[in-house]
Amino acid sequence: MLAATLLAGISAASAALSDAHINVPVPAHQRVTLGNGLKLILVPRADVPLVAFNLVLRGGARLDPVGRDGTAALTADLLTYGAGARDAYAWADAVEGAGGNLDAGAHDEAILVHGQFLARDAALMLQLLSDAVLQPRFAAEEFAKLRDRRIEELKAVKDSSPQALLGNYGRALLFGGHAYGRAVGGSESSLLQITLADVTHYYASEFGADRATLVIVGDFAPGSMQKAVTAAFGAWHRAAQPLPPLAEPARISGRRVLLVDAPGAAQTYFWLGNVGVARRFAQRAALQISNAAFGGRFGSMLNQELRIKAGLTYSASSAFTRGTVSGDFAIGSFTQTDNTARALDLALATLGRLQADGLDATTLASARAYLLGQYPLAFETSADWAGAFGDLDLYDLPESYIGEFGTELINTDASMLKSVIDSAYPSPDNLAIVLIGDAAKIRAAASKLGPVTEMALAATDFSPAKSGR
Amino acid sequence: MRGAEEEITAVPAAQLSAAAALVSFGLLGVAYAGASGTPRVGSPVNFAAAGEVVRTRTLSNGMQIIIWPDHKIPSVVLYNWVHVGSRNEGSGTTGLAHFFEHMMFNGTARRAPGEFDRLLEASGGSNNAFTSQDVTVYQDWFPRSSLELVLDLESDRLANLAFVPKVVESEREVVYSERRLRVEDSNPAMLEEQVQAAAFVAHPYRIPTIGWPADIKSWTLADLQNFYHTWYAPNNCTLVLVGDLDPEQAFALVEKYYGAIPRGQGTPAVRTTEPEQSGERRLTVEHAGKNPLVLLAYHAVAADDARAPALNLLQTILTGGDAARLHRTLVEDQKLAVEISSGWSEGFDPNLYLISATLPETGSTAEFERALNAELARLIKDGVTAAELTRAKNQQAALFWRGVATLDGKARLVGEFAVLHGDHRKLFTAPAAYEAVTAEQVLSVAREVFRSRQRTVGVLQPHAAAEH
Repeated sequence: MLAATLLAGISAASAALSDAHINVPVPAHQRVTLGNGLKLILVPRADVPLVAFNLVLRGGARLDPVGRDGTAALTADLLTYGAGARDAYAWADAVEGAGGNLDAGAHDEAILVHGQFLARDAALMLQLLSDAVLQPRFAAEEFAKLRDRRIEELKAVKDSSPQALLGNYGRALLFGGHAYGRAVGGSESSLLQITLADVTHYYASEFGADRATLVIVGDFAPGSMQKAVTAAFGAWHRAAQPLPPLAEPARISGRRVLLVDAPGAAQTYFWLGNVGVARRFAQRAALQISNAAFGGRFGSMLNQELRIKAGLTYSASSAFTRGTVSGDFAIGSFTQTDNTARALDLALATLGRLQADGLDATTLASARAYLLGQYPLAFETSADWAGAFGDLDLYDLPESYIGEFGTELINTDASMLKSVIDSAYPSPDNLAIVLIGDAAKIRAAASKLGPVTEMALAATDFSPAKSGR
Repeated sequence: MRGAEEEITAVPAAQLSAAAALVSFGLLGVAYAGASGTPRVGSPVNFAAAGEVVRTRTLSNGMQIIIWPDHKIPSVVLYNWVHVGSRNEGSGTTGLAHFFEHMMFNGTARRAPGEFDRLLEASGGSNNAFTSQDVTVYQDWFPRSSLELVLDLESDRLANLAFVPKVVESEREVVYSERRLRVEDSNPAMLEEQVQAAAFVAHPYRIPTIGWPADIKSWTLADLQNFYHTWYAPNNCTLVLVGDLDPEQAFALVEKYYGAIPRGQGTPAVRTTEPEQSGERRLTVEHAGKNPLVLLAYHAVAADDARAPALNLLQTILTGGDAARLHRTLVEDQKLAVEISSGWSEGFDPNLYLISATLPETGSTAEFERALNAELARLIKDGVTAAELTRAKNQQAALFWRGVATLDGKARLVGEFAVLHGDHRKLFTAPAAYEAVTAEQVLSVAREVFRSRQRTVGVLQPHAAAEH
């Protein structure tokens, strides 16, 4: 019904588009808050016989104790290694025996417990979910195994896809002591510091019904589902303390360069970033149009310059990561070691060109059409909607954030675009820069960018100060 | 593949086999639905019936068209499956099929380089492509209003591709960058490339899909033109359209844009079959790093083999989750590996079943191999339990429903069956074959595949990076 209203309201604006599907309609749903503060969102949808769920617990990695990055992530992990009547093995047998999945993980601002079961197994799903969240066992042996495995996995990523770690180095360099600078999954050294007591303490202080939103989407009857959820979660206590506020991070001025030495690397992987904007940034349609044009699609300015015209890389892109407060804007790419200076210069010049020249009317129209055409594909499945409703609640966004996005895209004009380019993107002179590559060969290129700090890829942390190497 | 955003990865075979496994998972969804006995009005519980909406046609030039209408969102997904992959290459031209995947975006007689992306994105579409040992697949995701434009763009590059020398040279560097990213800076991929090359002595599955470095550097314009004229013909393509469209209108548009493209001369068959391996092969890769890796490759079966369903169930039983056998024994109980996975590339010809493990930094590859061999010996001696088989079937049922929940999943599934299994209808009829799989059949295929005399064992032994 909401969507129908919106469509009627924008019919004039959409005249240029022959297809009337400008907005993605937000599906009908029910919202209930239980007595203990748990928010429940039920979205019945019967296209396939599945039920998807997403429990969002506010807090996440930003509440990790100092020096113990990865505490929230390990706590989340352990929810699915034994809970209620089941040890870790019986747990896996129950989930996988039903063909379900149930995963728990952390990000900066929340722990998410999410998954999907066949509709016939909805009762089992709720029982497992409530056991995971209300009665995790936190067995010492499982804790030790998982912590060791996570440490080994971090080492293995360095051997298989070093570019996957650019963001960890980049955010540590950019945000410093701010919570967004932490490695959500921890580092080799921070994980070693974490004890089982840290995990149980995190659970005791940071879990509670009034911090959680549970979204259930799929093939079920809302009335009986609400009763079942109330039975399963009604006894959950409230959190021990209110969620502390999150400070707005400061943008950096000037440049700081971190050179991460990977001797023998075939390419240099680089990341250029500064503090960007928050999820609730008012001009998000203009923001997304500008980023699609600059670095968010194949034909973007960055990919045009570095890949299509110059053949310097397989991929060059940019993205805004937006949270409750401003996250990062970052450019990422990679190039053959010998071309490091050339590719970096070109990336910086392209950012400068965005700010000097802006985007012309053709590019605005193209990027807008691109987003209008692509965004329905992000809201296709029950799991997509479980994630989307969870995000709306976590970041305190209205449903129109999804349901009127098309209208906002249509209404974005050149002056709004210019205002966003001026305010949300960093100057090329103000950047945190990370290079992962063969330091002996790229040290000179790095030093031309600004003052350089150097560390080894083999070091056990994501910033030189912590690693002491 | 040409973009980092899309999760499908063509080049490392392990990831390809994961994608291929997803396809096979589809079948059991139907098996489960049939067994559950609770058909519901309005739900596609009867998958065989769901297949009735799929329409097919063959153009007079031999091009196969498959259309699957689905009106859930106002979007359409196109997959054009070109029946050529690295198995159709030879010495000196390895990597050419994948390079073509890149060149297909670089201009035609009618359109300058870059126009394909510019026009598509300006009309709300995105695209990608991937290459495997068997096929090269072009993918577009776009609003339904752009269907005609997309068919115009796709048919144009099939019929009129241009070869601009300067663009060829630039794209050569892009592909080399992709090789550095995916292979040279990745220990698992370095090991896999070597194991694949050792496991096949005759069949072209030995060729890395990304290409050997010397070949990437030396393809000629004539190689490209020859390849294009041989393989890029309508009678060597299967075009799949899924989404918010009317089948008759879509067929008419396909006819309009593809109908006049002349039939190709036919394609050379891969005649070589791999001779039976008569003893274990071993190799070692030494590379900077920390974690030792072990990769075992067993000769398995082709996609259309009757044993394929049993082998896919076996894969799920061995490594399909935390409850799976090899994960539980080797990762959880004995802590000899950090991660273990396995999979099988379903192709035109019999390919490899790979078992891949990452060890802890201090782990012993010999100790790991002993433990893995003991597990495989136990499997071959005792088979799998009824509980394991049931779990595997349920897991695949759920994976199937997740697969067909998206337009993209449907395009991939129906295309895989049409091309690699020989008939798209097998997607809808294979459930019976899966439901009939018994523990004895799983044991039988385990015994046929996991023979030490027909395996290749690769070990990546890391060493500390050289100090500067």
